[in-house]
Amino acid sequence: MKKLSTLLVMVLALSVSMFASSNKEGKSESGMAAKPESKNVEVNIFQFKVEIAQELEAAAKMYEAENPGVKIVIETVGGGDDYGAALRAKNASGNMPDIYNIGGPQDVKDWMNKLEDLSDQPWVNLAMDGILSGVTVDNKIYGLPFNMEGYGFAYNKRIFKAAGIDASKIVDYASLEKAVMQLDSKIKSGALSKEFPLLKAVFEYAAKETWVTGLHTSNVALSQELGNVIAAADAKTIDFKYASGLKKLIDLQANYSESAGNKGLLNAVDYSTQVDTGLGIERVAIIQQGNWIYGGINNIDPEVAANLDFLPMPVVGAKEDSIPVGVPMHWSVNKDAPADDKAEAKKFINWLYTSDRGKEIVVNKFFFIPPLKGYEKYQVADPLGQAILRFASNGKIIPWVFMGYPSGWGMDILGVKIQAYYAGTMSWDQAISEAKAEWEAAR
Amino acid sequence: MKTSKLSFVLFVAPCLIAFLMVVIIPTFSGILMSFTDWNGIDPNPAFVGLENYVKAFTEDVVTVNILSVPLSMPRFVNVFLFTAAFATVSVILINAFGFGLAMLVTSGLKGSNVLRSIFFIPNLIGGLILGFLWQFIFTKVFNHIGTVFGIEFLKGWLSTTATGFWGLVIVLSWQMSGYMMIIYIAAIQNIPDSLFEAADLDGANFFHKMRNIIMPLVAQAFTVGLFLTLSNSFKLFDQNLALTNGGPYLSTQMLALNIYRTAFVMQDFGQGQAKAVLFLIAVSAITLTQMSLSKKKEIEF
Repeated sequence: MKKLSTLLVMVLALSVSMFASSNKEGKSESGMAAKPESKNVEVNIFQFKVEIAQELEAAAKMYEAENPGVKIVIETVGGGDDYGAALRAKNASGNMPDIYNIGGPQDVKDWMNKLEDLSDQPWVNLAMDGILSGVTVDNKIYGLPFNMEGYGFAYNKRIFKAAGIDASKIVDYASLEKAVMQLDSKIKSGALSKEFPLLKAVFEYAAKETWVTGLHTSNVALSQELGNVIAAADAKTIDFKYASGLKKLIDLQANYSESAGNKGLLNAVDYSTQVDTGLGIERVAIIQQGNWIYGGINNIDPEVAANLDFLPMPVVGAKEDSIPVGVPMHWSVNKDAPADDKAEAKKFINWLYTSDRGKEIVVNKFFFIPPLKGYEKYQVADPLGQAILRFASNGKIIPWVFMGYPSGWGMDILGVKIQAYYAGTMSWDQAISEAKAEWEAAR
Repeated sequence: MKTSKLSFVLFVAPCLIAFLMVVIIPTFSGILMSFTDWNGIDPNPAFVGLENYVKAFTEDVVTVNILSVPLSMPRFVNVFLFTAAFATVSVILINAFGFGLAMLVTSGLKGSNVLRSIFFIPNLIGGLILGFLWQFIFTKVFNHIGTVFGIEFLKGWLSTTATGFWGLVIVLSWQMSGYMMIIYIAAIQNIPDSLFEAADLDGANFFHKMRNIIMPLVAQAFTVGLFLTLSNSFKLFDQNLALTNGGPYLSTQMLALNIYRTAFVMQDFGQGQAKAVLFLIAVSAITLTQMSLSKKKEIEF
């Protein structure tokens, strides 16, 4: 028995030394590769925006060419939850990237001990007013906004024109409802069927995507109650003071959709049904989506894409003529990265947003609405982006607060309850009171 | 004697080390994690005792209609019942289809080799891809056929709990029947022809042979088949994620998906881990019971 245990120990020791030696080998190899270059920095970027993955890669190549010895490795994992889970997995396995993305105050709180203070960066002074509020804690700034995004009721101008509706007159809920009813009767009577043979309904609403319902639609009501994202992140309870206004928007989008007769069917409508085979092919005239749909619709029908614009999202009793505009994600730097990597990482994001070549990429390749000043030479080209700038310059915007909801609350609690409301298994009042209780429980 | 001990250690050690590192240690650290409030990042999570286990059976109460009787229960219990119902129906259907297909292709039918491959192919496709494929079939193809021929039944699949449930059952049955078929083919082919010849001489018809020869001698394969289908349908994740993602209103969420969402969406890793421990206990208990019950039915010859 004694012999057996000595043997076991020996085998263990052997295997450990094998692991150790293979490790050493790996190190010396990379050390050798480092010799020819005086500077050899590898910046690892882990980002979530699938739409810009290729263009970002191209931008990184450009930066590498300008800065010999620097290598930029980009990894992209799309989608809100999946990105968060993947980043946690990377952190847990000790592969935390140098540059990563954070959403808002909740993420800042969670990642606080991994966030580098970026207050001394050159782009800080160029930031638009109030745009850094989501990543500012104790006057320190922890992230560079990706871009500005906005959503509202994206509509097809050609259909409105054919139906004789003046969109500029839509400034509150009453006028929106009137226009929708007018359009609906024109569609039902067949008056538009010659020009738009596929047109079936006014709205399409992706209730399957709980971010559309639970985050975006709810934001219109909650942002006017809570005021800003920091207040949302701190709120222990919510009143849901505009719940009835929110119900009107939820009902309006269902009652004038193709699924009006059986609203439960909306729970199977996904993003692509709403955007691509909804607004994109002119099956519907209005959808609640943001400026990010432009690229997709442009690929389906450039003429439809060129005729898109936003209507405000009116909540009765609050600001009724505005659209929600905010920052979806921020670039941030890993505090625990090696000093060289960290310096280069900061330099890269600064280059991307403040150099002339970077600005060109941000506006014309990423199709971003820039979050910084000094982009006068680079005009936003797509109509939805221009519409957002129009709303913003008239002061008709409300903030995004859903980044300050408790984790999972918007999508997995409120969004799910809205599905139950559509399916008829839950009343509106019950959905709202349960969602309020869950908010309190999560805080 | 000495060499055999040495070789024993040399052969067992690599396996043992690997087993320790990837199964035993993670299991125990997982159980440990289920007593904490870890959020996935915090390096020093607080110890909360059994709170996570209590929460699984008390928090997040939902009301569901079971046979049109409204019942309130915690989400985790609801998810467990849904999974159990799904597993029951799937196990019966998959094994019935698998056995039926095995009988079909061993009956000396023309082209049965081609049929075998065809029935087995769905099993080679990954669960996620299958889920998205069938999502397209259920929501787009069914809808289109329903609209063209005016069949209301085919419209709005996956938008209700019932269609979501049957959608999942159809996908898993379609995928796993071929695999079960292979297991049953092997068992059926193992039955000596002499038994059938003797039965023929005694004037036995097909049903006699089925009841008195095939069924008892295939019982061993049924033990394996039931075990595989039962544990697979309890642990189902990717088809659930791709096909319905728990929707509508999380009513078609199964255990594995619920655990994933608790940990990675609600960012409550301690609670997710506690549910995972309960899940492990439940699945082991159920499958072990099934194994011992069906072992009793097996006979030697």
